[in-house]
Amino acid sequence: MPSNPPAPRILIVEDDDAAARAVAAAARDLGALPTRVDSYEAGLAAASTGDHAVIVFDRMLPGGDGIEAIARLRATGSTALVLIVSALGRAANKIEGLERGADDYLAKPFDPDELRARLRALLRRAAMAATDSDLVAFGALEIRIKARTVHVGALHVPVSPKEFELISYFARNAGEIVTRMQLLENVWNLHFDPQTNVVDVHVGRLRRKLEQAAGRAVIHTERGEGYVFDPSRSDP
Amino acid sequence: MRALRRSASLRVTLAIAAGIILISLSAMGLQYQLTARALAARQAELLETDLDAFAANYQQRRIPALRQAVAFRSQTMLPDEAIYLLQDRAGVKLAGNIGGWPLGITPEGDRFEPAPVLDYRLPLGPGGTEIAYRGIARELPGGFRFLTARAETPREVTLAGLRAVILPVAAGLVVLALLAGWLTSRWVLARIGRINRLADRVAGGDLSARLPGDRPGDEFGLLETHVHAMLDRIEALNRATQRLSDLIAHELRTPLNRILQKIRTLEAPGPQKAALEAEIHATTRTFNALLDISSAEAAGGARPGLVPVDLAALAGELCELYQPLAEDRGMTLAAHLPETAMVLGERNLIAQVLTNLLDNAIKFCAPGDAITLTLAPADDRHLMVVEDTGPGLPEEIRAEVTRLFVRAPRDRQVPGHGLGLALVQAVATRHGARLSLPATGEGFRIEISWPGLS
Repeated sequence: MPSNPPAPRILIVEDDDAAARAVAAAARDLGALPTRVDSYEAGLAAASTGDHAVIVFDRMLPGGDGIEAIARLRATGSTALVLIVSALGRAANKIEGLERGADDYLAKPFDPDELRARLRALLRRAAMAATDSDLVAFGALEIRIKARTVHVGALHVPVSPKEFELISYFARNAGEIVTRMQLLENVWNLHFDPQTNVVDVHVGRLRRKLEQAAGRAVIHTERGEGYVFDPSRSDP
Repeated sequence: MRALRRSASLRVTLAIAAGIILISLSAMGLQYQLTARALAARQAELLETDLDAFAANYQQRRIPALRQAVAFRSQTMLPDEAIYLLQDRAGVKLAGNIGGWPLGITPEGDRFEPAPVLDYRLPLGPGGTEIAYRGIARELPGGFRFLTARAETPREVTLAGLRAVILPVAAGLVVLALLAGWLTSRWVLARIGRINRLADRVAGGDLSARLPGDRPGDEFGLLETHVHAMLDRIEALNRATQRLSDLIAHELRTPLNRILQKIRTLEAPGPQKAALEAEIHATTRTFNALLDISSAEAAGGARPGLVPVDLAALAGELCELYQPLAEDRGMTLAAHLPETAMVLGERNLIAQVLTNLLDNAIKFCAPGDAITLTLAPADDRHLMVVEDTGPGLPEEIRAEVTRLFVRAPRDRQVPGHGLGLALVQAVATRHGARLSLPATGEGFRIEISWPGLS
């Protein structure tokens, strides 16, 4: 990270104390400054006055639905990323939320790790200017977006189209924990939880290919949480 | 006949026309009868007047007076209007305007009584045409025979004129009646058609559909108002149910979330905490499946919310997702898919169907088993078949395996809640797809026939 940027601010609009505490804890873990309000109107007011990187909105709030707030936020010119955290947690609810402008949607009950991973990804997106660069390089590991190829040095790593999408998503979140649910949602566009961990097998195959080519681990497993793509880190 | 049974419009048209025609024809028939009777009465009256006069003459001076009277009448009347004849006992004509006694007529009755009356025809018209007569023939004391009759021509001419008018009028009436019937049925049925189209839209899933414009105050307007009131009620109930399931979701998930957040802060061994967390996630999954099933069932057959989805592409993606897993477990997963197979659907729900079926297949199969996903056009549908060479479905639960929480006793050890196939069934119904679980010699086979998007 260049110089010391000010800590990003996160607005939490949530009427349930336990959920609000969990979100605030996750935000502080990530070095962000959480502010909490507990009603729809207060949420809208706070959102329009403060400069927030991420707004975490509940849906069934006293006074309104967080989904309805997104359009009103955008109308005021706010560019804050919106994470909906709601008990309306069926796949259909998630899809509705995403279609209506939410940047991410997390169902209650949520794992604190899952929440942290989602918040982290959003903070990263908020901090990062959109890069159009075709070449994404991590040392010797090079990903060419347009050509859809992966190289380690001069060595070409053959990947399937899905594996390429997988590695691209990992690369966008390099160094951060990425959960299985995030991968299912972003790479496979599936918003429900299959009973078997199909994702693990895919990540395992990609990991073996990269490890063979690079001679070291590129994708690391965080037990119980997810995966970290970090070509510079060496596993103990 | 079939058209008649199928079309209320045709029936109403014909019934109204038949009614109008029947009434009009009866009226005309009655008119004709009355006219005929009045004319007959008039003729009878003329005959009676003549008879009265002749009777008076006969009363005074018997035959000579009668002969004078007959001769006088014969001068003024032509035979095509009235005939008169008086003969003596030898058959010699004493007076009259016809040549002789007509053949086949036998005198009967008493002197100048009006009855009995005889009807007969004589060729006395111009050019020898036959004319119908109605009159009397009597034998008077002394063997004198007397005959008088009035021609029926005026009556027949009048009636023929009437008949000539009745036919074209009746034909015109039939046309007018059919037209009136058609217009009436069109007007009535158009009003009913409006309500039918509304019912179709509602049945198609658009609960908020209503008829535009004002309700007129008549019976149809009242019917429309009633239908609207019913629809308002259904919509309100539907919204209430939706709100209730949202509330249940909120009121159960929020405390589950609190528990989940607290588990992290507990002082307990990691595996124990993980087991608790897994328990909560499993509960949530069951919960989601139940809500998905009930909402798919509620929306069954409704079009709103459905978009074109390529079944072939989606099936391809999910096969690709499960392929490595199957391979790792020593099974083969093969897909036979066409280029495209468009249906009107909800991608997410269809993805859940495929996920459930492939998950099940991999869960129940053993190394060496083969799983096949086939998609093929069948008429205007797409037939999706998922089959495997695994243990198959126990026959005793085949019929009810798509119901909630139905599992085979032998599968107690296999994780699951018995909701997978229930969701598959609900999603199939939601999309108007037909599901069947044919009995197979070995292995499991499910067929889903999706309605194609033309």
